Amino acid sequence: MSKQYLSRGSADNAHVIDIFSLAITDKQILSTSGASSIKVHSTTDADFPLVQSIDGAHTIGCHHIVTNGNGSRAITAGFDGEIKAWSCHDGHWAADKKLTADLTGADAWAIAISEDGQYLAGVTQEGRINVWDLAADGTRIRDHETKGSFGTCIDLSPDGRLIASGHEDGAVYIFTTETGRMPFSLSGLVNPVRAVAFSPKSRILAAAGDSKVIVLYDTSSGEQIANLSGHSAWILSLSWSDTGEYLLSSSFDGKVKVWSMETKACVATHSETDKAVWNAKWLPKIGKTEGFATAGANRSIAFYREATG
Amino acid sequence: MAMAEPSIFHNLEIDDGRDPSVQEFIENTLAALINELSRSPAEANISITLKRRASPIACIINPTNGALEASTRVDTYRKYSWPGKTAHEAWKFTAKGLVAGEFRLIRDSHVLIDAQSVTGDSLIPRTEDGDEIDISRIRWVLVIEKEAVFHRLARISYQTRALAGEGIMVTGKGYPDFMTRTFLRAMSDSVSNQSRRPPRFYALTDGDPHGMAIMSTYKYGSAAHLHQNARLSIPRLQWLGLRVTDIIAVPEVLGDTALLSLTKRDRKKIMAMLRNSPVWASDGPEPEWRAELQRMLVLNLKAEIEILYGCQGGLEGWINRRMFRQE
Repeated sequence: MSKQYLSRGSADNAHVIDIFSLAITDKQILSTSGASSIKVHSTTDADFPLVQSIDGAHTIGCHHIVTNGNGSRAITAGFDGEIKAWSCHDGHWAADKKLTADLTGADAWAIAISEDGQYLAGVTQEGRINVWDLAADGTRIRDHETKGSFGTCIDLSPDGRLIASGHEDGAVYIFTTETGRMPFSLSGLVNPVRAVAFSPKSRILAAAGDSKVIVLYDTSSGEQIANLSGHSAWILSLSWSDTGEYLLSSSFDGKVKVWSMETKACVATHSETDKAVWNAKWLPKIGKTEGFATAGANRSIAFYREATG
Repeated sequence: MAMAEPSIFHNLEIDDGRDPSVQEFIENTLAALINELSRSPAEANISITLKRRASPIACIINPTNGALEASTRVDTYRKYSWPGKTAHEAWKFTAKGLVAGEFRLIRDSHVLIDAQSVTGDSLIPRTEDGDEIDISRIRWVLVIEKEAVFHRLARISYQTRALAGEGIMVTGKGYPDFMTRTFLRAMSDSVSNQSRRPPRFYALTDGDPHGMAIMSTYKYGSAAHLHQNARLSIPRLQWLGLRVTDIIAVPEVLGDTALLSLTKRDRKKIMAMLRNSPVWASDGPEPEWRAELQRMLVLNLKAEIEILYGCQGGLEGWINRRMFRQE
């Protein structure tokens, strides 16, 4: 059964250069791009107004932004190699200078933050996986070696037990946060992996990239559960809906797809642009309707809501 | 020997020849050179030390002429030695650019060179102040980063066979020397006087940080010779390719293997370009160039022009389509 998502407006030309990353809180969407500022748009108003612009956040641009569950903390990774921390009070974001100083020298390309905002995980260009405790002055508490292939993406499971990383050589690794051990290595992808994402209940890991296929793994056994094929270009991002019923994917040719976990099939495809959609993320539910936001090389953030009734 | 980049005689700043400090500088320099030349080659240190005008960091893009120029005066010194401290330096002192296509070099109302397309490629001619280059019959000028790519196109006489009409191909064999840039600028200047449908100027470089930096050198100038850029920049130069995203868009034809991972040095070079040059600034003149460098970092990929040899219609087919799209 197919589903319908309707365009509910957009923040046109939110940035002057490609938007590389989105982060969602209950009321806001934060975006970073090849320009130097972080933009904050409200998702509670119907026309998604710009509520804050943090100018000069990363002089030569920013490729990753992540936020914790309650939207009080954001961490950004810039093209200059700097990791910065931001905190939110009453909807207004400000630099967290202490935490940023704590993270000086922290080496990471892709980053992920735990639901409670205490742990930051990062994977480096050399494939090394680090975890920092943000409650303990940004002390590095974990340091895992992999085979040295560029770490393109990383995720922390919502239950806090697992870290997954995706690499340029197609490798996907899962580590337990408790022991730092790798329970199993995952097979299935040979081309660069560009996105990994744990389901809300942490039972499934989705991974995708240049193979154009999304592979679902059982996180307790490491077995492949399913392959979702349908994209005809490289897959750049993955996002799970709140309930874990749907998976959202975006690709290099501008297509965004919604996959049903029940049927393991694509239920909706959107192609508003022919340019790369670097990131797509589910928005908080409004009542019972779900929606998502997309952003990328067309420099705008587009918003969609499920068609109801 | 032809004096190519860096042209020391421009740097001497002789205004009227009567300034005693200038006289003294020349005499001292000459005496030192003659002294060194008289020694055995193993001991000789044949060099000239010159004051340079600005550090490469303190530069801006001049809004009036679109050239990369010094923003503040910072004196630095540089020693030029013969035959060159390194192979790179020795190479800089030989003329190296090549040209293929039809043009006429006019000096004092006389046609000095009448180059015909059919004669194939030749070394870029030396141009002097006041020279004019007549390219009124051609539709495009293609500036090519790589010599091998230039030869491949010259072999099939692409300059006469392009869908876009007759054109001129130029290569500076990597980073261009002054003579190549002077020649291109003279062509560009001659076009400014041409009212109807002026020919297009395109750059074709690798989709990697060096290719982008070379294109920037042609268009805006080099950070090492800021005071020369105003008379050598080519603001009309357009980016034909190669973009990494061009290749990703057609993987069916080329295969994913056509793409290469960035090296650590590539990534460092890109970061330095983004940080230091106003060409790539977020409020700079080339947001597309900036975005392309960032996409390379995000995808960790680069692409060489040679991979277009295998695409539909070959390299020439790709250039035909791309020129048509940018018309």
